[in-house]
Amino acid sequence: MNLLNYVPGDSFLHRLNPVTKLAAAFMYGIAAILCENVFAEALFIVVMILISATAGLFKRAVLLTGNLMILGLIMFVIQLLFVRDGSPLLVIGGVVLFTTGGLKSALLLSLRVIAAMLPLMLLFAITRMNDLCNALVKRLHLPYRYAFIVTTAFRFVPIFATEFHDIQDAQKARGVDFDTRNIFRKLGLIAPLCVPLLVSSLKKVDVSAMSAEMRGFELRGYKSGYKEYPFAARDMVTVLVLVVLIVATVVLKTIPK
Amino acid sequence: MISVKNLGFVYKDSKVAALDDINIEIADGDFVGITGASGAGKTTFTFALNGIIPQKIKGDFYGAVTIDGVDTAEHPAEEFARKVGEVFQDIDSQMVASVVEDEILFGLENFGVPHEEVGVRIDRVLRELGIEDLRDREIEGLSGGQKQKVAIASMLALEPEVIVLDEPTGELDPESSREIFKILTALNKEKGITVIIVEQKIMLLCEYVKHMMVLDKGKIAFYGTPRDMAASIDTFKDLGINVPRVTELSADLIREKIYDGEVTLTVDDAEKMVRRILK
Amino acid sequence: MIRFENVSFGYSEKRPILKDISFHIAKGDFVALIGANGAGKSTISRLTNGLLHPTGGRVYLGGKDTLKTPSSTLARGCGFLFQNPDRQICENTVKDEVAFSMKAQGWTEDRIKERTEQVLETFKLDPEWFPFSRSRGERQRIALAGVIACEPELLILDEPTTGLDYLECIRIMDYVTRLNEEKGVTALMVSHDMELVQSYAKSVIVLNHGEILGQGHTKEMMKNVDVLKKARVLPAQIPELALRFGDEFKDVFTIEEMLDALRGRVGKGGAL
Repeated sequence: MNLLNYVPGDSFLHRLNPVTKLAAAFMYGIAAILCENVFAEALFIVVMILISATAGLFKRAVLLTGNLMILGLIMFVIQLLFVRDGSPLLVIGGVVLFTTGGLKSALLLSLRVIAAMLPLMLLFAITRMNDLCNALVKRLHLPYRYAFIVTTAFRFVPIFATEFHDIQDAQKARGVDFDTRNIFRKLGLIAPLCVPLLVSSLKKVDVSAMSAEMRGFELRGYKSGYKEYPFAARDMVTVLVLVVLIVATVVLKTIPK
Repeated sequence: MISVKNLGFVYKDSKVAALDDINIEIADGDFVGITGASGAGKTTFTFALNGIIPQKIKGDFYGAVTIDGVDTAEHPAEEFARKVGEVFQDIDSQMVASVVEDEILFGLENFGVPHEEVGVRIDRVLRELGIEDLRDREIEGLSGGQKQKVAIASMLALEPEVIVLDEPTGELDPESSREIFKILTALNKEKGITVIIVEQKIMLLCEYVKHMMVLDKGKIAFYGTPRDMAASIDTFKDLGINVPRVTELSADLIREKIYDGEVTLTVDDAEKMVRRILK
Repeated sequence: MIRFENVSFGYSEKRPILKDISFHIAKGDFVALIGANGAGKSTISRLTNGLLHPTGGRVYLGGKDTLKTPSSTLARGCGFLFQNPDRQICENTVKDEVAFSMKAQGWTEDRIKERTEQVLETFKLDPEWFPFSRSRGERQRIALAGVIACEPELLILDEPTTGLDYLECIRIMDYVTRLNEEKGVTALMVSHDMELVQSYAKSVIVLNHGEILGQGHTKEMMKNVDVLKKARVLPAQIPELALRFGDEFKDVFTIEEMLDALRGRVGKGGAL
C-alpha cells in the first residue's frame, strides 16, 4: 500500500482549503518542535492519529507512525550515544555508554521527529497535489511554474518506480542474480540499471514538457485556474486553534517546573 | 487547411534527413492515415504540423508549413496547438495532471477559455467520448484505452480543427483499438474535425481512413485512397508495409481473372466478393 | 517444458488476475497466448520464468519448481523478449549488449566472443552501434540477439512486435520460427495480433479474465468463434471470411487455401 497517495473523502479535514491544510500541518509541526516535554510530545502523536481518524485515516496514521518510528529510532540511537548530560546510566568496563540526560533527550527528539513529520505525511492523504498547487497559485500567487514542477515531480514518482521495477525484471530475466544476499554485489548489479532508467526518464520528461508547452503552459497566470479555493469559516477556526496551540506550547515552556 | 511545401528536417546531431522534400495539402475534414517503416519520419512529420518543429525541437528546417495560410514558423507554436492538437506516442508522459478532470482543465485554463464556458466544455467532451464515469478517476489507474480517450478529450476541449495522433492503438488490444477508430470517425463525420493518425494496424486504416500516406526514408512514397494503395500491393511490401489479407486475396483473384471487381479492404467487402463468385 | 498446476495469482484477494489455471506446454511447441488486455497473458509469461510467483498452485519450468529456484537459475535456458527493448538495453555498444546475458550467466570469455560474432552476423547488426540511437525495430532486434545468444531452450515473447513495422515484424518472427523448427526451441508468445498468431503459432491458449477458455491447435481455435468472441478477440481475416460461409469453406485458413477453393468453384462453371 502506498502511504502517500490521496484518499478521497468528504470529512472536515478533506473540505479544508488546501492552503489551510498545508499551513495547519506546518503549524502542528512547529508546535511539536517547540514542545520540550516527552509526555506532551507523545500526546501530539496520539492526538494527530485521533484527528486522522475523523477523516477515516486511522489505519493510515498508525502505519505512518510505525514507519516514522524507524527514523525516530535512528535519531534515538544517535542522541543516546552523543549526549553526555546527567548521571551515567549504563557503564561497561569503566566506559560510560550512555547517561540519563542522553536517554531523556533521545526520547524527546525521536518523539518530536515523529510528531512533527506525521501531519505533513498525512497531508498527502487528504489533499490532491493538483489542488494544493492550484490553491497556492490562486491564493498566494505563487509562480505556477514552480508549483507545476513540484506536482509533476510527485506524479512521476510512481511512474519511475514502475519503470525501475520493469527494468529490474528485464535484467533478472537475462540471468542477473538480484537474489544475492551480498549487499555490495547487489549494489554493483543495480548500477547498470541506471542507464535504461536515465534514458527513459529523459525521454519522458521531454515529452511531458513538450505536452505542457503545447497546451499553453507559458500563457498561464495566477488567474487562469478554473477551480476557486475560497476560505471558509472552518479554515479560520482551524488556523485559530493551531495558533492557540503554538502559543500554549510556548507559554507552558516558560512556566518554571 | 494544412499546406506543406518542400518540407525537410534534419535533427541536430544527425546526418540523415528525417524528412526530405515533402509536399502535401491536407484539406479540412479529411481523415488521413500515415504509415511506414520505423524510422521513416512519421513522428517527425506530425511534429511539423503544428510548429513543434522547428520551434520546440532543434534542427535544420527547410520549406514551409502553413495552417489556414499562416506560417507555423512565424508565430508561437502554442497558437497553432489550439488549432492542431496532438496526442503524443508516449501516453503516460504527456499527462499533466493526476485526475481526469484536471487533465482536461489544463489546456482550457491556460488558453483562458472563459470560466463560465469551461464546465460546459468538460461535460461535453466527456459525453462525446463516453467517459463521464471517469471524471474523478486517477489517471494512473486507467487502462490504456481509457487513457487514450482522456488524451483525446483534453485536446477536443480546446475545440481544435485538426487532431493528430501518433500510434494511439500501439499498446491496445483489437477491441479497444477499433473503439478509438470509431470515436475518431464520429468526430470526423459529425464535427468535421480533420484527423491525422500515425498507425501500423493496416486493417484499421483500410477500414476507416479517407486518405493514406506512406512515408519511406523521410519522403512520401504514396498518397491516395486506401483502395488505390491496395491496388498496388506489391510496391508496398518492399517498404515494410503489409496490406490486409482480404486485400491480398482479392488481388490474387483479380489477377487470376476469377473476380472482375475492385480490390476488397474489409472482411465485409470480401464476403460480398466471394458471394458474387459463388453465384 | 512448462507446466502450470492449479495456478492462481493476484495482488489482492478481491481482484484475482489468474484463477486456478492448469495447462502444459510440450517441448518444441510454438504456443500463442491470446486474449484482451488484462486477461492475464503477461502474468502467465512472468510466472513461467519466475519473475512472479504463484499465490496458489505450482509452476514448473523444465521440471524445476519456480518457487524453489532462484530467477537467475531459471533464466539459464529461458530467454525472455520484452515488449519494450529499452528496459533491457543498458550497454553502450551493440556487441557489449549482446554479450551482457552471457556474462551474467557466467560464460567464458572465449565462448562469449565467438557466440557474439555469430549472433551479430545472423541478425545483421553492427557491433559498434550505439544502441540507444537506433530505431525501435533495430532496438528490438538487438534485444532479441542478446536473448538468443544464450542458446535458450525456451523463448518467451511478450508482445514482441508492438511498435514494429511489418518488415521488422516478419524478420523477427521468421527468426523465431527457424529456431523453433531447426533447433527445437520451444516458443511461448503473448500477442493479440491474430494474423501473426495464425501465421506462426502451432497452438493457442485463449484467456479471458484470468481463466483459460480453450487450448488447442491454431486452426481449431481460429474457427472456434464462441471462444474467441467470449475472449474479445477477432479471428484472423481469412478464417473469419471462411466462417461466414458455414461449412462451405470449413478447411480454409490461408489465402492459398481460399484461392484453391474458389478456383475449384470457377472450374465447375461458377463465376465469370
